Amino acid sequence: MLISFPNMGPNWVAFKTLFTALDLDVVVPDPTNREAIKIGVKYSPEFVCFPFKATLGDFVNAIEKGADTLVMAIDCGPCRFGFYASVQERILRDMGYKNIRIIPLDQADLLEFHWVKTLQEVSGRKDLFIYSKYIKAVIYFLKKAKLLNDIQTAEGLFRAYERNLGDTTRVVNELLEKLDKANTLVELRNFKKVIKNDFNSIDIEKSRTPLRVGLSGEIHISLEPYVNLDLRRKLGEMGVEVHQSLSLYDWVVHKFHLNYHRKWLEHLAKPYVPMDIGGECVWVLGEYIDKAKAGFDGFIHSYPFTCMPEVTARTIITNKLKKMYDLPIIYFSFDEQSGQEGFRTRLEAFYDLMEARREREIKSTPEFMANGQKKIYPQYGGEFYNEIAQLIQAE
Amino acid sequence: MELSTTGDKKRYKVGIPRALHYYRYYPFWKKLLEELDVEIVLSPPTNKKIVEEGVTHGFGELCIPVKIYYGQVLKLVENNPDLDFLFVPRYVSEVPESYFCPKFLSLPDVIKILPEVPKILNFEVNVKEFPISTSAIELGKQLGKGQTASVDAYKKAQKYFDEYHNFLRDGGSVNHALRLVHRNLPFKLPKKQTKGDLRFLLLGHAYNIFDSFINLDFIKKLHEQGVEVLTIENLPEYLFKKPVIVNPRGGILRNYWRHEEEIMQAIRFFLTKGKNEIDGVIFLISFACGPDSLISELIMRDMKVVGLPFLEITMDEHSGEAGMMTRIESFVEMVRRKRKKLGLEPRWKSKIKFYEGT
Ligand code: SF4
Ligand code: SF4
Repeated sequence: MLISFPNMGPNWVAFKTLFTALDLDVVVPDPTNREAIKIGVKYSPEFVCFPFKATLGDFVNAIEKGADTLVMAIDCGPCRFGFYASVQERILRDMGYKNIRIIPLDQADLLEFHWVKTLQEVSGRKDLFIYSKYIKAVIYFLKKAKLLNDIQTAEGLFRAYERNLGDTTRVVNELLEKLDKANTLVELRNFKKVIKNDFNSIDIEKSRTPLRVGLSGEIHISLEPYVNLDLRRKLGEMGVEVHQSLSLYDWVVHKFHLNYHRKWLEHLAKPYVPMDIGGECVWVLGEYIDKAKAGFDGFIHSYPFTCMPEVTARTIITNKLKKMYDLPIIYFSFDEQSGQEGFRTRLEAFYDLMEARREREIKSTPEFMANGQKKIYPQYGGEFYNEIAQLIQAE
Repeated sequence: MELSTTGDKKRYKVGIPRALHYYRYYPFWKKLLEELDVEIVLSPPTNKKIVEEGVTHGFGELCIPVKIYYGQVLKLVENNPDLDFLFVPRYVSEVPESYFCPKFLSLPDVIKILPEVPKILNFEVNVKEFPISTSAIELGKQLGKGQTASVDAYKKAQKYFDEYHNFLRDGGSVNHALRLVHRNLPFKLPKKQTKGDLRFLLLGHAYNIFDSFINLDFIKKLHEQGVEVLTIENLPEYLFKKPVIVNPRGGILRNYWRHEEEIMQAIRFFLTKGKNEIDGVIFLISFACGPDSLISELIMRDMKVVGLPFLEITMDEHSGEAGMMTRIESFVEMVRRKRKKLGLEPRWKSKIKFYEGT
């Protein structure tokens, strides 16, 4: 039995450890690419949301690399996501991959391990059923997911200051490789230091005053750089600080009901949408309000074309929140037709708009004028964020 | 209106947009609200201006039914500046295992922020959290009614709604029945019944099937071609008792969308025991509809296996009369040819009714 799973940016590192810690054999699909998208689009329903097509493409790639058991997260409504695994499995079988199984990983009950029972059945291996093994698997998964989240935080800040374009990206890729190989608790415990050291080695120009942008949206699109046209990197290389609390870790912790940041966002969004309607709708609204209050310069909302919850979020921001908070926002809805051309132009126009707005803000605020014509941003972000910010500020 | 105003108390005027769940729940709402002593104002049937209005207000990635809802709300408010409330229910879940499409979950949230809409009359149906009688009590509170009155109203509404459904199962068409409800007339089948030599099952959300403006009078077009039409509402209750399991061979999934569940339950019957009861299936879907994008794929794959003629039509605000006509004609033509080639007589009896065990 050879296990695989779909891509979601750097999160293969965490998914992989979940299975290797159970002593299962894993093959990681190639990073999502043109070929995978082409196949995904060809065999998917025409009007389904883009992540369906992209992950179907990943699956085909993984199967060609030898995988026979695919693991896919599911939920049970209200959005389309719950249907992914079942419909994809049916499509794969109709495509001729008769012996493939997709094992649904119900994210509502990560601790109940039904999927491990299924894996045990499929693989015929009784030894999977040892309690201590899952504990290890979960701990490794959570630790790596948390570290990936930290890498994302640092990356979002550092890229805006790097002197040599591409340094941050290189460091991130090296860190992913290192994290993949770190398979003892001691290494994992020390990994935060590794992250800080590696980032600290980047040659940065500390005197820059980048714009601050908040990023949120549908999770797959927001985390998978191939499908979002490498939005985070583009922004960073334009000299923008990217703040994104959305990550795999952020989501999983939420599913364990321990994500206080998300609870806070829900609280902020409550007057506008009082419940989880699927996708990231409520939290996007919360993020928008939160970032507006934290003096950000702009906000980016990205989601798959026709994504139901995100379209609702967009409607509410456009018709209400934008008027109340006046934080500039740009929407990107991605599908297989999204091209680089219009994308770049729109991003640049948005940059100019934010910059002009900040100029005006500085000129009309005596406090900012007195600060050498520099905007003062309120204190923001979690513990690790502040450690990273100190690396940049320190003289 | 059977109820008159009691003494000096003013009756609240409540607007209901003729869109989305109107086509599914209007008889229930009407009875419920009238029992709570409310005057109902209904927006007019969809027309070109309403669609245009809706399209300018909702942006491109919304499905057309929601855009029409916008248009209907705006029309209603424009025509009736004196409304006390706008009735925009929040349908989350009607049976415990299911949800509605996310757009129904947030419907009041996107409507209440439109310019100049009156106060929204809240009615949240969410049996995952509380029974519908509780929703009725909450509704009554906003209208100044006590608990007993509200529960009473709910019971009466439910009873009326059951009668309505029985009428549809006896072969009444939804649009005919809604007209009767609107005019407070008893449920009676029209004298003139459409007869044809083919019978199709017409699948889709009620607001796509019965809004004859947006679907370009689809049902009438089929009638003119000599096709009798069945919709989900006409089918007997027992077909909808057992849940549909998607992909039973693999990662088993219980379908969790309420409408789509009914669509798939109906099709399950016609794929198996009911195979000889119909000659073809047409699925009307709206562009940018989330749930249908997946369901239609599953149905299409099943249809291929069974070999039942199947046509899927995606509509949006740009759908043209001519194109639609050609597609219907050639589909009907194809089905007729196929039947002739196989030398088949009409297989079904004219009476639209299936009993348990057929
Ligand atoms: S949240 Fe968006 S992308 Fe995800 S299943 Fe729903 S519609 Fe598709
Ligand atoms: S079910 Fe489809 S058509 Fe209906 S509101 Fe949802 S997306 Fe729109």
